[in-house]
Amino acid sequence: MEFFVHILIGGIATGAIYSLIAVGYSITFTTMRVLNFALGMWVMMGGMLTLTFHVIFGFNLLITLAAVIVIMVVLGIVGERVSVYPFFRTGSDVWVMSTLAVGFLFINVAELIWGRNPEPVPSFFGSGIIRFGSFAIFPQQLLVIVTALVIFFLLHVFYYKTLLGKAFRATAHSSDVTSLMGINTRLICISSYVLTSVLAGIAGFIIVPITFAEAQMGTVLGLKAFAIAIIAGLGAPRGILFCGIAYGALEALASGYFFTGIRDILGFSFMILVLFLRPEGLFGKPTRERA
Amino acid sequence: MKRSMMKTAALFAACATLVGFPGSSKAAEEIRIGLSAALSGPAAFVGVSIRRGAEMAIDNINANGGVDGKKIVLIVRDDEHKPVKTVANHRELVEREKVIALLGTTNSAAMLATAPIINDELKVPIVCPATDATKITENKAWEEKRDNYVFRLGMFGRGQANFLVDSMVKKFGYKKVGLLTWTAGWGVTGRGELNRRLKELGEPAVADETYDTADTDMTPQILKLQGAGAEVIINYGLARENSFVTRTKQKLNNTTPYASAWGIAAPAFWKAAGPSGEGVLVSTTISIDGPQSPERQAVLKEYSRRYNGESIDGPPFFFAAYDAIYLLAKVIGEVGTDPKEIRAGLENVPEFDGLITHFKRPVFTRDRHDALTEDDMILGRWTNGQLLEVKYDGTGPYIVLDSNEKKYIDTKNLTLK
Amino acid sequence: MSAHMAGRWALSVGLLLLVMAPMVTPGTYYLFMLILVFIYSVVAIGLNILAGYGGQISLGHAALMAMGAYTSALVSKGLEVSPMIVASGLNVWIGMVAGTIVASVFGALLAYPSLRVKGPYLAMVTIAFGWVIWKILLEWVSVTGGELGITAVPKARIGSFVLTTPYYYYIALAAVVMAMILQRNLIQSEFGRRLQAVKYSEIAAASVGIDVYHEKVKVFIISAAFAGFGGALFAHQQNFVNPDSFEFFSSIFFLLAVLFGGAGTLAGPLIGVAVLTLLPELLHDFDRIRLIVYGVFILVTLYVLPKGVAGVFQRRPGSVAPGFSVEPIDKNRSDPAPVAGTDNPAVVSDAQSSPLLEVQGLSKAFGGLTALANFSFTIMPGQVHAVIGPNGAGKTTLINLLSGFYKPDAGTIRILGNPLKISSLHAAARLGISRTFQTIKLFGDMSSVENVMVGFELHSETRLWDSLFRTGRGRNQEQLRFEEAKSLMEFVGLGDHVNTPANALSYGHRRLLEIARALAVRPRLLFLDEPAAGLVSEEIDTLKDLIASLRRLGIGILLVEHHMDLVSAISDHITVIDYGQVIARGDPASIQRDERVIEAYLGTTADDA
Repeated sequence: MEFFVHILIGGIATGAIYSLIAVGYSITFTTMRVLNFALGMWVMMGGMLTLTFHVIFGFNLLITLAAVIVIMVVLGIVGERVSVYPFFRTGSDVWVMSTLAVGFLFINVAELIWGRNPEPVPSFFGSGIIRFGSFAIFPQQLLVIVTALVIFFLLHVFYYKTLLGKAFRATAHSSDVTSLMGINTRLICISSYVLTSVLAGIAGFIIVPITFAEAQMGTVLGLKAFAIAIIAGLGAPRGILFCGIAYGALEALASGYFFTGIRDILGFSFMILVLFLRPEGLFGKPTRERA
Repeated sequence: MKRSMMKTAALFAACATLVGFPGSSKAAEEIRIGLSAALSGPAAFVGVSIRRGAEMAIDNINANGGVDGKKIVLIVRDDEHKPVKTVANHRELVEREKVIALLGTTNSAAMLATAPIINDELKVPIVCPATDATKITENKAWEEKRDNYVFRLGMFGRGQANFLVDSMVKKFGYKKVGLLTWTAGWGVTGRGELNRRLKELGEPAVADETYDTADTDMTPQILKLQGAGAEVIINYGLARENSFVTRTKQKLNNTTPYASAWGIAAPAFWKAAGPSGEGVLVSTTISIDGPQSPERQAVLKEYSRRYNGESIDGPPFFFAAYDAIYLLAKVIGEVGTDPKEIRAGLENVPEFDGLITHFKRPVFTRDRHDALTEDDMILGRWTNGQLLEVKYDGTGPYIVLDSNEKKYIDTKNLTLK
Repeated sequence: MSAHMAGRWALSVGLLLLVMAPMVTPGTYYLFMLILVFIYSVVAIGLNILAGYGGQISLGHAALMAMGAYTSALVSKGLEVSPMIVASGLNVWIGMVAGTIVASVFGALLAYPSLRVKGPYLAMVTIAFGWVIWKILLEWVSVTGGELGITAVPKARIGSFVLTTPYYYYIALAAVVMAMILQRNLIQSEFGRRLQAVKYSEIAAASVGIDVYHEKVKVFIISAAFAGFGGALFAHQQNFVNPDSFEFFSSIFFLLAVLFGGAGTLAGPLIGVAVLTLLPELLHDFDRIRLIVYGVFILVTLYVLPKGVAGVFQRRPGSVAPGFSVEPIDKNRSDPAPVAGTDNPAVVSDAQSSPLLEVQGLSKAFGGLTALANFSFTIMPGQVHAVIGPNGAGKTTLINLLSGFYKPDAGTIRILGNPLKISSLHAAARLGISRTFQTIKLFGDMSSVENVMVGFELHSETRLWDSLFRTGRGRNQEQLRFEEAKSLMEFVGLGDHVNTPANALSYGHRRLLEIARALAVRPRLLFLDEPAAGLVSEEIDTLKDLIASLRRLGIGILLVEHHMDLVSAISDHITVIDYGQVIARGDPASIQRDERVIEAYLGTTADDA
């Protein structure tokens, strides 16, 4: 039982990382039916910027966070213009390739600027460890869990209480109706993409002490987060929070009770099974070509 | 439709003819050596260490007049750690760039793929500074007692595993050994070799855990090793993941002694693990901490000057490449630039003073294409940011601090006493 | 014809150069690279059939290639225990066949979870599939050798003669030429038309009787067979396989090659693979910025060449449809025979008195909102039954219920006296029901005649075999279909637009084309969902005449319409519904006099009628 709880704690902490990244996929998919396929690389950029401002330049965490957000806003605007706007609603899945292309650029730029080796970033809380009884968790892991919960709460408030958030959701239903209502859909597309980018930046900022800053730090994370967004259903943020944490926990349990190598095999097979049974994801609403 | 097919055909034809006439070869005036290695991606630190080691050796040799008045030129290709690319690069380097010798790559699988091609088709000697699968040198040509063009100046898996396991079981006296290996790269070869050696000693591993690059929290693995009653954990992997292991051990208050193969014999490990890395044992061919020979000191100083104060990412690979170039230069100076002669020459070097070690025996023989044996390995202990060599006396294993203080290692938890 | 000849010439010269390459190139490096291009092209052609023509994106194709490579490597190595087989050199060839088959089986495995998902969901299923396979290759060390892979994979041999690089080059060249031919045959056949129809609209494809799931499974299997064969070729070229060659990035490479070369073009995969494989070899100095070059390359390609390199040379509107050379039909020949229905015994021979369609007490509600309540009517052969009503009255719901798109909550539907059992979307067409759509659903830039030819699905006798190898029977069938489709187009008045891409037609013509496609099913019953919407008055007159002549052929027609003029002019019977309730029924004259109709419907919409 103790073994189980130990593993569960580690798994939930990893799962929170997945949730934090996975929610980014849902935002642009909600507004534009497009998603940033290379979101993991954007997370990596957030981590690299944290390395730069916090470790290399020595700024404190708040200034670092502000700098990360500002740069991610800029990158988000440029990224949308370059990889989404030109292909938006061409009806094809070209954005899969165009957003991946931007991801390739990021990886290469990161290798050129920051080198090829994983650079450690110290935990925001020093080397301390939070202990309760015989159990323990790194404070940085706890921060990830808390951040994930806060971001999901804020997102909920944003979607249901703010005008822009409501416009996001309206766009999701029909962009024609939204533009008839006098809402600038173009602006909504850009701002949703930027929001995704900023969230990726924040995720990178929070998780980089755990994963280390490295050009490839986001690649596998991004892919797993994508799998989770798909399992939950791209249009269901709260489902994503739940699925991310559950996936992390199940992964750790698979490692604990079977062996590490089987983890991804089980995880991804499970995902295929979910989509086979519920093509719209566990929490998504079905969509169908209209007759 | 037809027109597009026509275009394709034309394109092919253009490519075929364009590349059909290689540029004029300078093979006569210079000594061309080829290197294909991962220079991008996660394995790049190995590839870059090899490249820099080779380049510094070549610059030194050329500054001293080259070999028989000929300059050495290194032609470098990135193979992205992919066997297909390595094979293509080797063909290209030999056939188009007319290299007369090769330095080995970063990926054991790639070396296994390319070895038969080198032996059967290209017939140009290759010296491997890094890849450690035993079968690379003990390949088909070796089995069939034909001319074997594949040499290794780095450590080979079997030797490293024997050394590491023997050190732990025989010298440190552990009976229950747990394994924790990386699911990629040399973690896979290492895992096999470690298990083999443990079985040979009659002490099969009590637990055999793995992790992959996505693991940032090793709780399940450590708990399972702990549960199996491992007295020591032996690891095969890289700095980043190893630091996750040591930090997770710290989190779980686990003090099981921890030893690793040479993947963490680099400053990157301490940088990542910090004080949680204190006491970790590492098998390696070379440690750049502690007292160094004057020749090594000169190279380390030169490295720091060339690369803005950086330290070497992978010292074993850097020095192996450095020595490999000097060894090749020596042989070429004696037998000339015919690859077949160089191959034979490499089997006929009675003594060689390298930076890794002073070979007072033939570096290679016809039957033995591994220059280093397990006797050339050392065990280091990470001690306050330095990898200090472990020595033994009647009392047990000890290290010597910079202050010349002799400290014994407590085999229970690897602390100093 | 001269451009055609020039193309042939260039093709021949190119092929000749490629055939001569081993004799003129020094060493093995160039041949090695060309062999790689050929092998990757075989895989990419398979992906092109799936993604380019079928619209099913796959980011897991490297895994299918891996299945071929590993199977062939293991089988050919395993067979080495038999000295007889080794002496004959057959082990490698048996391995290749096994690899192709195993990959096809895995293609089918991949197809099932992919059937119901689209876009990013489909991408993820294929990624996950590739990932799982890749992980299994890494972890199942006792069979696959894990990371270190399988070494000493046997070289291809004929008898005891070893096919070294220059000889293997010819094997690979032959393979890619064969793959190109098979691709062309497949695409320029009934199979290819169905495939593209499914890509453009699954619902419209199903409406003419195409079993969409079945088609998707088939194309996944075919595509996987190409990938597996490519993998097998790869294993025996490299004489080594390990998981590094089949990771996620390799799958991206194949998709990128297809997109760059031109997805949905015959030469696209070859061009894409050639450029993306050979370019890095010419640009060694740019190794440091390889991914930047790659990324910029992708973006620029997507901007400048949205249809890929080969797309630039694609056929223009009005040019000849692919698939067969069009023999001009003899203008003096007597009137088109195979107009829908006339050769359909079911329609002609049926007693005029038995109803085609009987609907009784049909009801459907969506979340408490009644869309249709207790609806009943019958259609006799040669009768036009109109259902009218304001927007949201439940008209489209009715058609969706009758064509199997929705399941009714209550009520019975009988076709020719038998209860309607619609298990899937394409089943309706099998029962002789075809339809048009309120929002036109044609098959994109396929030519108009191809759109109609897709409609013959149910009456086809062509097998996949006929398409793949262009048998005489297949070609005859094609010619027959073409002529039939052409007469149908003439019948609806589109005789001049046979080769125009469907999406280049005017709006009114597109409506007519949809009707022509629906007629190709040879329906007993035809559902027309607001066929006059968006038409100008001359076009409506044409439509009127068309419906009238369909009626004369004995087809029962359900007409859902707003347009009162049209409805009054040609309907035998009219049912008026509002909020799902029938408010009036009768012949046109009585409906026009009905107070409630005038109040509820005509009064409010008289202006826009």
